[in-house]
Amino acid sequence: MSFATKEAGSNLWRNRLMTIAAILTVAISLSLVGAALFLRQGVSNATTEWRHGVNVIVWFHPSSSRTEQSAVGDELTQLTYVKSCTYRTQTYNYDQGKRFFQSLLGSASGAMTPADTPASDQCVLKDPNEAAAISARFTNMPGVLNVSYPSKAIHNMENVTHIAQLSFLIVALILLVSALALIINTIRLAIFSRRKEVSVMKLVGATNWFIRVPFMLEGLVQGLIGALVAIMVVLILNWQLDAASAGNTLSTLYKMRLAGGELAVILVAILLIGIVIGALGSAFAVRRFLDT
Amino acid sequence: MITLESVTKTYKTGTVALKDVSMDISKGEFVFLVGASGAGKSTLMALILREELPDDGRIWVAGRNLANLPRWRVPYLRRNIGCVFQDFRLLPTKTVFENVAFALQVIGRPHHQIEKQVPQVLDLVGLASKAKNMPDELSGGEQQRVAIARAFVNRPLILIADEPTGNLDPSTSKDIVQLLDRINKSGTTVVVATHDANIVDTMRKRVIELDNGEVVRDQNRGVYDVDIDDSSGMSARDLVAHSRGRRG
Repeated sequence: MSFATKEAGSNLWRNRLMTIAAILTVAISLSLVGAALFLRQGVSNATTEWRHGVNVIVWFHPSSSRTEQSAVGDELTQLTYVKSCTYRTQTYNYDQGKRFFQSLLGSASGAMTPADTPASDQCVLKDPNEAAAISARFTNMPGVLNVSYPSKAIHNMENVTHIAQLSFLIVALILLVSALALIINTIRLAIFSRRKEVSVMKLVGATNWFIRVPFMLEGLVQGLIGALVAIMVVLILNWQLDAASAGNTLSTLYKMRLAGGELAVILVAILLIGIVIGALGSAFAVRRFLDT
Repeated sequence: MITLESVTKTYKTGTVALKDVSMDISKGEFVFLVGASGAGKSTLMALILREELPDDGRIWVAGRNLANLPRWRVPYLRRNIGCVFQDFRLLPTKTVFENVAFALQVIGRPHHQIEKQVPQVLDLVGLASKAKNMPDELSGGEQQRVAIARAFVNRPLILIADEPTGNLDPSTSKDIVQLLDRINKSGTTVVVATHDANIVDTMRKRVIELDNGEVVRDQNRGVYDVDIDDSSGMSARDLVAHSRGRRG
């Protein structure tokens, strides 16, 4: 084994320019894969809260009567696709709004009073896709100011991130293929520069595995180092996200943050892809050039 | 030690390299394989090393039927066969000692065994004092001795040499062949393919002559060219018939 590691090490050093090119390509492609996975998980985290939280809010005109409001409330609860509704008073909504603006702007807006603030019915639906139907049905009812539902925004956000993810993955795939080609090439080069040694080794009866292992190790090291660089990039991304959201619990960035376990899954995926690329590239190069 | 039974080898290009060749080389024999270029000597060597497989016929080397030998066993077969070539094939970046040690390293021999066997074999070929030299600091004859040391360090049952004196002057050639003879005396079967009439004639060992892929002569205590050998009294054709009768 020490023979194999020594050989692999000296091969890597001898072809260091090619080695660096291969490692960088692996690193860049895996960083993109990591970023795509990261984005996916983040968006999924951010939208889950909305998905499982309130689906639709019926805002009442501040001057609407209590009768008008309960008529709407009764009708809402009778709908089969509405799971539950919670009535929020003007004072409650005023406090929420004040807190929101405070966290957003650093100071509370003084222009509003509880009397100007609408009361609301916040409803959770059995099927969030029915939000649009509720909006159409209730918007023109007496006492209703407005019906808002975040599913459209979620849909837009998911669309945008889906395109971003897809383009990240396509570019990453192209780069992974070129990384594979580069690894095959560096190993081919290493075998070529050692062809004399290899022919003597075959002649004196070294086993095929003994000849192959140093070259395979070389490819594996390239994939592994590339993956480690990509892991660092994703960790920096995660750290940047944390810093940017800075504990602002209402911002989308904060909601996107990944749990430790989710991050670990992405990092392990990157590591595995790196190892597979390295092993695959070297196995291919060795198979074609060493087997007689 | 080496047995060929009706071996035929045709290359993809259509060239017939060996035609119905049979021979039997016993343990401890010293055999010269002679014949013009293209007579089939190199093909024969490649078949013995199992670099090639015959189209027809059977080959046994060191007790193994090569047709039944799985691919992964081939390296183990080669550990029984030492190989020497016209162009030495030494590694230029390694010292004499390292070149010989390399042959043991790559078959996984332990360090202490390498430290013991390499000096022994360098002593045998008379190069103990040059262990630390690089190959390009040595003469052609010395380089071939290193190659022989490398081929022999693992004490193979068979040593085959393809034109070992092809690049050497006559007196150096004689030394090399005498070294091969000494190795033969230790019990190793030696097969030397050569063009060198001089060494064949001085050694008077068994000579197998190939011509156009066929064995045309198999003669004990033979010489290079049968036409100038007045001691035989037999034509090449007679000798072939004789040897076929003896061995077939």
